[in-house]
Amino acid sequence: MTFSRRPLRQIPILNPHHSLSRRFAISSHHSRHPTPSAHRWSHPPSSTVISDDDVASLASKPLHTLSLADLVKHGRPPLHAPALFSSANFTLSLLPIRLAHRIQALRNLPFIVVSNPNISKIYNNYLHSLSTLLPYKSKTISTLEDEIKFTEVLADLVNTHAHTIPTLARGFLECRKYVNPAEVTRFLDEHLRARIGTRLIAEQHIALHMSSQPHQHPDSKDQIPDPSSSYIGVIDTALEPASIINSCANFVSEICELKYGVRPTWIIDGEPNTTFAYVPVHLEYIITELLKNAFRATVESGKSHEPIIITIAAEPETTERGSAVLDHNRRLENGISSESPESASIKPFDDPAPGVTIRIRDRGGGISPDVLPNIWSYSFTTFSDADDFPGQTPGSGNMDALNVLSGAGGESSSIAGLGYGLPLGRAYAEYFGGGIAVQSLYGWGSDVYLRLKGLGRPKE
Amino acid sequence: MTRRAGRGISLSCEQVRTVHQPPPWRPAYSLDQWVAKEARPISLRQLMVFGRTLTESRLISSANYVRTELPTRLAHRIRDMQTLPYVVVTNPHISQVYELYYKAFEGLRRIPEIKTLDDNQRFCEKVGQNLQEHLTVIPKLAMGVLECRDLMRPEDMDKFMNTILRSRISRRVIAEQHIALTETFHSPHHFPETPLREAEFVGEVLVKCNAQEVVMRCGQEVASLASAAYGPSTLLPEIRLTGHLSATFPYILSHIEYIIGELLRNSLQGLVEKQKSNPGPPTQPPPIEVTVCEAQQHVIIRVSDQGGGIPQDILPHIWSFSKGPRSLSTLQNLNQVPKMAATLQELRPNHPSPLSPPSPSASSLPKSTGTPPTKTGVLMHDSSLASLSSRDPNLRLGMGLPLSRVYAEYWAGSLELHSLEGYGVDAFLQISKLGNKNEQLTMRASMDAV
Repeated sequence: MTFSRRPLRQIPILNPHHSLSRRFAISSHHSRHPTPSAHRWSHPPSSTVISDDDVASLASKPLHTLSLADLVKHGRPPLHAPALFSSANFTLSLLPIRLAHRIQALRNLPFIVVSNPNISKIYNNYLHSLSTLLPYKSKTISTLEDEIKFTEVLADLVNTHAHTIPTLARGFLECRKYVNPAEVTRFLDEHLRARIGTRLIAEQHIALHMSSQPHQHPDSKDQIPDPSSSYIGVIDTALEPASIINSCANFVSEICELKYGVRPTWIIDGEPNTTFAYVPVHLEYIITELLKNAFRATVESGKSHEPIIITIAAEPETTERGSAVLDHNRRLENGISSESPESASIKPFDDPAPGVTIRIRDRGGGISPDVLPNIWSYSFTTFSDADDFPGQTPGSGNMDALNVLSGAGGESSSIAGLGYGLPLGRAYAEYFGGGIAVQSLYGWGSDVYLRLKGLGRPKE
Repeated sequence: MTRRAGRGISLSCEQVRTVHQPPPWRPAYSLDQWVAKEARPISLRQLMVFGRTLTESRLISSANYVRTELPTRLAHRIRDMQTLPYVVVTNPHISQVYELYYKAFEGLRRIPEIKTLDDNQRFCEKVGQNLQEHLTVIPKLAMGVLECRDLMRPEDMDKFMNTILRSRISRRVIAEQHIALTETFHSPHHFPETPLREAEFVGEVLVKCNAQEVVMRCGQEVASLASAAYGPSTLLPEIRLTGHLSATFPYILSHIEYIIGELLRNSLQGLVEKQKSNPGPPTQPPPIEVTVCEAQQHVIIRVSDQGGGIPQDILPHIWSFSKGPRSLSTLQNLNQVPKMAATLQELRPNHPSPLSPPSPSASSLPKSTGTPPTKTGVLMHDSSLASLSSRDPNLRLGMGLPLSRVYAEYWAGSLELHSLEGYGVDAFLQISKLGNKNEQLTMRASMDAV
């Protein structure tokens, strides 16, 4: 247990280098939207003017399948102005279409659902965000002034949608009588996944902006990002899963100590020194969710003395090379030269790096066979009318201590108790081709397998 | 007699192989009649309860159940094969299996109702002979499926294979159970009308199968086999057992021994190979950790190793009989295994076959006497485990996992596997405690009725 323990908050997601970010940070504190009254079921008029034609024409365009190569193709920070502009224009070419697709999906939900104040609020957020981007649609960003304004718009977008999930969750919970659970599950699955990509695109440009050369504060030379830094925007190309696990476990065990008076311990084995390329905020979110479950089960089953064992397995390089050879052969068979960069555009990066599997093993008694089939479903599907709405009656059975803590990945604390943790964690894991599997030994404990595909290393 | 039958089969093999004649056309009427009958599924619990109080009339009714059930289930499988593409059935291996099945079906469907103990005796001989003849079925099927892997969709091929194997298990279970009951009935220690309460075995079912004992026994066998194959200088991992070690459940011992044996083999193989690929002097490999977890309705056995895991290109195919990058080498290996029985127990080369005519012989003694369970188990099954060593650990047959899963699911359990590539593998075998009153007959029924 001699790994560097970085407190969660220090992980440089948005480096506060620039006054811009400071403003975002402050505004994010005040941007908590008041929850609309549950009694006001009227359709709130939208504050934004946006023509249906705009939405329809944008939504009819195909979604660009996002690859990681897209996000790093503008080069390693600090970016020069032209690279920064190209990043901004690339972002601008993607976001309006993505937002329009979401608006379209929301519009196709049953009327009674969208008129729910919570869902209606989300719908209007999307309309609003699209309207703030549309003025840029017709022009190309080529001045620093425009780029700053555009980045401010992006930051506003990221903030506006910070609470989408809890709000949607509450909305669907309130509407659960009127909708088909399968339909909502499909909508949520698609929505959450789309949202991950949209936020990633926006946050990537904001992060590149922060660390770009033109926006360095002239007075503070020491804040110039280290060119050898492993970060490219929000992607850490040398992420050490062990340090994220330790910081998340510290965080969760502190809450345990606070709420239960016991502090379960954990052991990291396997290959703790391994590094790979990944988005740290995503990994933090997933790990925090999984550790919350493991710690809670351990404490509640009275096994606090049994450490949670976290095993980090790194795929050997050799097998990757083997599959690279396979790919190469396949490409040759198809008559496509492996040198052509287009043929590799589906892949995260040109040079595939090995993935990582993380196993979290606890002695918390496992998951009962009745509960097991539902662990991946959004809780509204399993809520009965007799259940209290989570959050409305603090201290009730639904609000257990660990759920009060906020997700580290920037997801708001108000998802707490809404049962979105595992499905959302899985959505994050699957976003880049990984996955989560849960194996319960009911009567003993649980093994959770988080597999993350290596995002590879960008070509320099 | 058995030997003669065996020679007959090998002769017909060669014929088919040289001539490549497809199976002949036969009038479908009698088969249609039997296909129309539904299989009557049976559960482990029924097997146990039925055999506990053994009387002559019960034995006769058991015989008649088996007499009608075997041709019914065979007929269903023959019809399955008839609906496979022509090109697949004309494959020499598949057509041999087809012929074996048809021969068995024709022989069994003609047996008149069993009314006396003498009738039963002859019936058991006939059934035992059949079981013996069908020992070649699994390697033949496996080879046929691999040779035909480009002729059918792999999913369809695996579905066919799963169905035919599960049905094979079901037929062998009811046949062997009846033969074992007949042996017990004729044993000098059996007093009719006396319930066999203290018996460890009811027929073939081990009433209190102890997970810990099975793991230890299979572990020792697998280890001795490995040290014979890899040389005594190879350091072998120890097996570390934790959890609810007193857990017991009713099971057919040979089935669980097969599954656990295959799992431990895989783990040990992974560890030894990983060690060999490491440069430098050999070091003690990390232990194989086996955890037994017992709850009201199930027992789960988790086998965790640090043998390096399963490479990504192989992982998607581990449950397939026909697909995967290793199919070619598997096919070559299968050619070296003329007879691979589905269970270790079926392979008893140097011992009187339990399937041969039942007599109050020594082999049936331990079942009905009150010897301690461990001893009974070893006595009965040491020969079957010894047969495991006849297979070199490097001889990958590519069917250990899929076949183990067929066994696990047959008894309403499951087998799952998770790979941590670069580190190791965790295998989870879940066993339903069918002996308790919460047994799910409907589930069993749907599994058995295939």
